[in-house]
Amino acid sequence: MSQAVHEFTVEALDWKPYVKPVDVDTATAEQLDALKITPSNKKISDYVLVLANEPETLKERTPLFNDIMYSEGGLSRGGREIGALAASFVNRCIYCASVHAARYIQLEKRPEVVDEIYGSGLDANLPEFEQALFNFGVDLTAHPDNVGAYQFYHLREIGLDDLQILDLIHAVAIFGWANRLMHTLGEPHRLD
Amino acid sequence: MTSPSTNDVIDTVLGLDRFPDLQALREQRAKLKHLSQTSYQAALRPAEPRNFSYALRAALAARMAALWKSQELAAHFRALLEREEEGSGLASIADPGNGTEDPRLQAILAHVDLVTLSPKEATRAHIEKLLAAGLDDRDIVTLAGLIAFVNYQVLVVAGLKMLRDN
Repeated sequence: MSQAVHEFTVEALDWKPYVKPVDVDTATAEQLDALKITPSNKKISDYVLVLANEPETLKERTPLFNDIMYSEGGLSRGGREIGALAASFVNRCIYCASVHAARYIQLEKRPEVVDEIYGSGLDANLPEFEQALFNFGVDLTAHPDNVGAYQFYHLREIGLDDLQILDLIHAVAIFGWANRLMHTLGEPHRLD
Repeated sequence: MTSPSTNDVIDTVLGLDRFPDLQALREQRAKLKHLSQTSYQAALRPAEPRNFSYALRAALAARMAALWKSQELAAHFRALLEREEEGSGLASIADPGNGTEDPRLQAILAHVDLVTLSPKEATRAHIEKLLAAGLDDRDIVTLAGLIAFVNYQVLVVAGLKMLRDN
């Protein structure tokens, strides 16, 4: 059996649940309905099948996640991935971080940004745009009770408008949600 | 369905009727605003509450909001708890300073506190503790989903407060 992965990586990983995924063959009508929203052209992941234990929640969560990460206009896709990565880094969701680090690199062609975050962590020294987004994402994730006004003004200084800031807030927040599922209900393994 | 702006929990707790610009900004993302509210419904008042009563859900949500000192949301969830059947019996655990003698509830509270404040510390052993306390697989997914949703809402409210007040 493969070893669990405990260090940040950009390689594609497998995710093994601690609780039982729903069996599609014996799923209820409500579970099948909630599962239908996920892309049908690929195998349904164990992660989504675990969440299908609670179909009412899953049915809302899937389109919410997609709208936050992929909606038109506002903050760039790469900017949203930095928000996702900042949250996943603070919460040490290795699997979430691997997926969204890879997406960021694919979108922006800048692997050095991810290398710096993985290598230097909270002290990462990044280009100004990424730095402002990363710092705000880290702060909001780690201290929602005391977000630094400085981090917020930094977003304004680099020229983000209100809609872009709102998009960043949502990207960070939805990973506060995703990390608390993915990192607590299972663990990442190297692909066999 | 009534107008979303009149019964949206996040708009209400932030008093956004007095901040029309921010309310209008949220409407630019109307779909996700709506799905955030339907997710609230699914987490706090699902059609089938099963082993997590509405009162227990509200009490745990109030506790999580209080752990993050999110006063607006904590007050909202405490008020929700008061309206739920048997809510008064769970009022004490809405305060993070309080525990319980009941072993099942004790395991639930320990998990709520850990995953809210230090999700990175969570391991398989924490899920095994929940199983040992009598929760089944679906209960564990229910609990994880409630914790995850309330933390999402805390983060959105904290971020929106930055936009409202700066």
